[in-house]
Amino acid sequence: MQGHDQTRAIQPGYSTQDVTKVPGWHGLVAWDLLFNNLTTGLFLFAAVGELASPALLGPVARAAYPVALFLLLTDLMMLVLDLGDPLRFHHMLRVFKPSSPMSLGTWSLTIYSLPLTLIVAIEAAQALGLVPSGSIALEWVRMSAVVFGLLPAFGSLAYKGVLFSTSSQPGWKDARWLGGWMANSALMLGCAELLAVSVLTGHAPAAAALRTVAAMLLLLNLIPTGLLFLELRETLSRIYRDQQVHLAVVLSVVGGTLIPLILLLVGDGVPWILGALLFILAGNLAIRSLFLKIPHASHESRSGGKA
Amino acid sequence: MKFIEQFAANGRPSGHNATDPTATSRELTLDRLLNGGGAGRWLMMSDVCKHCVAAPCQHACPTGAIVYNEFANVYIQRDICNGCSYCIAACPFGVITRSDFDGHSHKCTLCYDRQKDGLIPACAKACPTASIQFGPIDELRERARKRVKELHTHGVTGAYLYGDEPTETYTELHSFYLLVDSPATYGLPEAPFNPWLHMLGDYGRTIASALATIVAILAVLFFQGG
Repeated sequence: MQGHDQTRAIQPGYSTQDVTKVPGWHGLVAWDLLFNNLTTGLFLFAAVGELASPALLGPVARAAYPVALFLLLTDLMMLVLDLGDPLRFHHMLRVFKPSSPMSLGTWSLTIYSLPLTLIVAIEAAQALGLVPSGSIALEWVRMSAVVFGLLPAFGSLAYKGVLFSTSSQPGWKDARWLGGWMANSALMLGCAELLAVSVLTGHAPAAAALRTVAAMLLLLNLIPTGLLFLELRETLSRIYRDQQVHLAVVLSVVGGTLIPLILLLVGDGVPWILGALLFILAGNLAIRSLFLKIPHASHESRSGGKA
Repeated sequence: MKFIEQFAANGRPSGHNATDPTATSRELTLDRLLNGGGAGRWLMMSDVCKHCVAAPCQHACPTGAIVYNEFANVYIQRDICNGCSYCIAACPFGVITRSDFDGHSHKCTLCYDRQKDGLIPACAKACPTASIQFGPIDELRERARKRVKELHTHGVTGAYLYGDEPTETYTELHSFYLLVDSPATYGLPEAPFNPWLHMLGDYGRTIASALATIVAILAVLFFQGG
């Protein structure tokens, strides 16, 4: 013991440590980030598509809304489970604080769930023959719900990036384009999902149109991804070795953009489209997981050298 | 309480204006220290919540669990907190912790229960050297400024106050400090930044990005004759 003490160097205060504490947000939150973008992106894309081009995208959008509801419920479950005290989830709705992104997001998700549930309920009732499928009044109600859902769906999407960028955590606090990247990638994910739905339900004209849009969005997504990376570069360089950073960039660009782009351009069958969707999902989950890990990795690197 | 051992390899403690404040003690072993290895010092700092005038944690809290109480202290209502941890992410001072026991966020309350009974916080009461002082904030600031002048006249030229006045990026703190080294040495941010100053811009970029993407989508759809 004495020998150990004699060789121990004395630490220079706290100057080598991160000041902030890291919130215990881990894998579940990475999935939450993905599912949030999947449901909001799908709904927004389907709704905008149905309103702008009802003949082409209306039928596919109808098939997409139940998927969006399922993704929303999955996301909400993850949000609840991630809390320190899940039984107190409803405390989120005690107050409405638009100045708090998490409060704005919770209320947006709650309000977004209402028109989405109504849309799916009307579609289900029509499919089961409980209500006439050609009812003009019901269609008017359904379309009103689609329009009414746009703003809260967008709020549910927009809060997520701002929630992280308005924190004091290493890396997150520098990510000015995180919200912009998430908005763009959510719509890209929504397009890829809608494309998969259109292929699986046999809507060939919609699938053909959506393939072109998905390819364009994959390329467009490189712009906010690049902006986000530039903001994080300094923190990433401090935490990781250069080779690790370069490898992550190459893998995300090749796996999340180039491979799905090639798959989309090469084939229009179910395997090609689903393959592209899988790569897009994997790439997006990887980027979200890496981003989420930054403060944790920063603390680890401060205490024990580069990761 | 934060406890900082600070012994420079050259035998002198690193001052606030030292060019390399971290060049302390790395090469100094306890053996060398105990055998007259050089002069040094131990720094201590009360590691309480700073009770910021505009607290990012209170701003962040989505449940309304974090409030300002009647003493203008930032207080977590334990019966309301649901452990979302957003306050932990927001606090630039690393004050708040989520308990593994009950899943809720916890931090210094500045002994709210004692204050309600007309008593001073336990840390200030117990401190044997009266280093931790408690009282009306204006009186404390005046006392602290006098103390800094006193220290300067005694040769401690690196003494200064941290958090007693607002900066461009942060409000003043209701728990402020008299320091003799860089804030980082004490585990404090060099220049605290309120993350909410970025909020409008971040929302703006999000909205702009979404609108630009939607315009691009519609343009491609209509170009294809959709």
